[in-house]
Amino acid sequence: MTQMKMSRRKFLITSATVAGGLSLQLVPIDAMAATGKNGGQRDSALSPWLTIQADDTIIVTVPTPEIGNGASTQQAMNIAEELACDWQRVNVEFASFSREYKQPGSYAVGMQPFFGGHSTDHERMPYTMQLGASARERLKLAAAQRWNVSITEIEARNSVLKHLPSGRTLRFGEVAAEAASVVLESEPSLKPQSEWTLLGKTKPHKVQLPKVVNGSAKYGVDVTRPGMVYAALRQSPVHGGLLKSHDPEAVLSMPGVRAVVVIDPSATPGSPVDASPTFGFEGSECRSGVAVIADHYWQAKKALDALPVEWDDGLGAFWNSDEKIHERQDRILDRWAGAPLTKSGNVDTVKAAKTIEATYRTPFCEHATMEPLNGTALYTEDSLELWHSTQDMQQAFWVAVDESGVHPDRVTIHQTMVGGGFGRRVIGDDVRAVVAVARQYPGVPVKVIWSREETTQQGAYRTQLAARFRAGLNEQGMLESLEGETCFSGMALNLGFTDMAYAFSGAIPNVRLAASNLPMHIATGAYRAPCYNAHAFTVETFIDECAVAGGIDPLEYRLKLLADWDPAWSHCLKLAAERAGWGKPLPKGQGRGIAISNWPHSGEKQAGATVCAVAHVEVSQEGKLTVHSIDFTFDCGRTVNLDAVLAQLEGGIIFGLNMSLNEGLTIVDGAVVESNFDRYPMLKMADIPEIKIHLEALSGHDRFAIIGEAPVGPIGPAIGNAIYQAIGKRVRSTPFRKQDLSWS
Amino acid sequence: MTTIKFTVNGQAQSLDIDPTTPLLWTLRDHLQMTGTKFGCGIGMCGACTVHLNGNATRSCLIPVQAVDGADIATIEGLSESGDHILQKLWVELNVPQCGYCQSGVLMAAADLLKRIPNPSDEEIDANISNICRCGTYPRIREGIRRAAQEMGA
Ligand code: FES
Ligand code: FES
Repeated sequence: MTQMKMSRRKFLITSATVAGGLSLQLVPIDAMAATGKNGGQRDSALSPWLTIQADDTIIVTVPTPEIGNGASTQQAMNIAEELACDWQRVNVEFASFSREYKQPGSYAVGMQPFFGGHSTDHERMPYTMQLGASARERLKLAAAQRWNVSITEIEARNSVLKHLPSGRTLRFGEVAAEAASVVLESEPSLKPQSEWTLLGKTKPHKVQLPKVVNGSAKYGVDVTRPGMVYAALRQSPVHGGLLKSHDPEAVLSMPGVRAVVVIDPSATPGSPVDASPTFGFEGSECRSGVAVIADHYWQAKKALDALPVEWDDGLGAFWNSDEKIHERQDRILDRWAGAPLTKSGNVDTVKAAKTIEATYRTPFCEHATMEPLNGTALYTEDSLELWHSTQDMQQAFWVAVDESGVHPDRVTIHQTMVGGGFGRRVIGDDVRAVVAVARQYPGVPVKVIWSREETTQQGAYRTQLAARFRAGLNEQGMLESLEGETCFSGMALNLGFTDMAYAFSGAIPNVRLAASNLPMHIATGAYRAPCYNAHAFTVETFIDECAVAGGIDPLEYRLKLLADWDPAWSHCLKLAAERAGWGKPLPKGQGRGIAISNWPHSGEKQAGATVCAVAHVEVSQEGKLTVHSIDFTFDCGRTVNLDAVLAQLEGGIIFGLNMSLNEGLTIVDGAVVESNFDRYPMLKMADIPEIKIHLEALSGHDRFAIIGEAPVGPIGPAIGNAIYQAIGKRVRSTPFRKQDLSWS
Repeated sequence: MTTIKFTVNGQAQSLDIDPTTPLLWTLRDHLQMTGTKFGCGIGMCGACTVHLNGNATRSCLIPVQAVDGADIATIEGLSESGDHILQKLWVELNVPQCGYCQSGVLMAAADLLKRIPNPSDEEIDANISNICRCGTYPRIREGIRRAAQEMGA
């Protein structure tokens, strides 16, 4: 093993020979010391980031799960950029959090180390690129030593090392083992961006695709273990309720049934050591319920359906209807007493020529990942092994420790492919339920599968919220003052609201934005761009209403408000409008609407991803809404894989469409009414408008902002604003399918 | 328990099984063929699409007793080595995101092209009613169009 210190960074690159090839690790300097966070380097096993095998196969170990955004492919590209390897030989494997636990820092580099996004994280990119560069130089040096020539005469390209004067060549694999023991004088410096050949230049598809298209990719629900049994579960339909009674005898004699177990939130054993889950344990608690374990899933499900169960609904039943929720929210908003989070000037002293006020509502939404919630665990007295399609392995690991009570030294977690995340598989309530069931059936691997109905009704939803705005317009129709208050349930994160660009662009002299909370029992969590996904709608609809009240074209209005802001916003607006034919006459019943937003740095210039949409809609007199097209512009600075960015934009636009047109859960007597796709509809092929993504607003600013979440925002408000232009009706809540859009 | 005999991807199978077990769970749990996916269980999403005697069928709604004597093809049997034209194009065009829905989409698309070699947009819309939560619809359409072109060429 050799070591090399990375300049400026507190990491060492270490190398080792593995199975006749080269393996490189990234080790934090403090982990090299005898003691560290969890006792320092606990053993001498390797935590490889990069392995080059004798047959030229390259394996990049990625700490980012693959939820469909290409995060793992991105990391492999970063390494390959410097490695000068044959991209066709690059494979990815998921890192194990157990290694991270045993050797802290071995994979935790940068923010949210085991989270799905942030593959272009500015903090992490240099490390992964350095690994590639280091491997390349070691290979070159090994070849130089073999040939007894100077390293400066050697060129690496496409996984081949060439001695330029003589033309001799060696494959990477042929010198990989020797490269593990060479000693570099110093770590090579990285190429300047101008010399990149892969990043920003090529558009490789996700590396996992060949396995996806032949059915061999293994998602969590596909895990198969010898002797495995299956469990189906049902948890209290009213979140926070308790299992009152059930009658196992009624089903224990059914074919294949092995056991009926209770999921009891008060029975959690707790972690035997100080735990460090990424997001804490709140929200991951067990939900009271019952599970049937059987030889096959169908047997478990049939028995569960036949199992007599009674629930004690608890306090949640207070919320008997959506109207009740809205009424309580209005009571809070009527007081205008929320905690002010953004303030400038004094909204109370403004003498406005015109005042307008409006309230907007967005409902609870379910992630509806196509892979229903599930997990597989094997529990024994002193060990736990878990297979899981988690979005955050660190969170999943510690939840598993906490729910099993097993010492983390003896907990192993296997990351599988993830059949959709969108934030649902972050907090680990699913992991906890799996472990709670499996630890009551020790010694046998148990695969727990939520039905679609259970997945839908046991969500950790996009929270519902209401936002009220009040604006004072001057004689020219522009905003003298802007007041807003959002009343939400669940996590206090007001992205897209208290940091809205309009409050920071300097165009509105008096601003006061506040937040208040309506505590509810319903589980909420991250959902593709938390809070922003709702507030892009509330803010961009209200600004549109202000434009109309001020007698100014909505595009003009936004350009004026953002005149002294990051110019990329204006570019996005103008380009989308121009391409959509803004201002060109349309027949009655048709209209165009515009909206712009930014995730996750709305209140900062040249940060995050700015996105803008113009929707062209048609509304029949009976109220049937058709979205004809979406013209979309964006600025995320630069891109490293344009096709991956476009895929995320397309997906995000369609996610935003579905959210705004279709999605909204109904609460009756504290429980979610919808249970499957018949009542919670998803857009299909035939419903998709023409989507035109225009690239020319990309600023080229030196950042690779994350792009998966931002596009969800402007779609709903662009459509709502277009509906107003088409029929003169202002839509102030989603989903639009539930609004009366008829006109005459 | 009943003995049910059928073929999957050309291989004869004989199972002692609860005859009401859906074909989906028969494939996944009894034959360990997990390429066919569970999405909704009520015929709404298409993740479980297989070919039953050559026709695209949602396997979550078919009790295994109904396929006694039938020929089933699953994603694992769509081609010998993952080189069906749709599979090749799906990789080339980077169609899948999370990929979970795509075995079902591919089976539906393969069936469509067999019946209608050069489908119009309306025919694609009418025949591909699978749900893709990741929103890969524009690329699915592109993949089918390209396949139709290349097969026609
Ligand atoms: S699982 Fe069969 S259609 Fe959804
Ligand atoms: S690719 Fe994820 S559901 Fe279709």
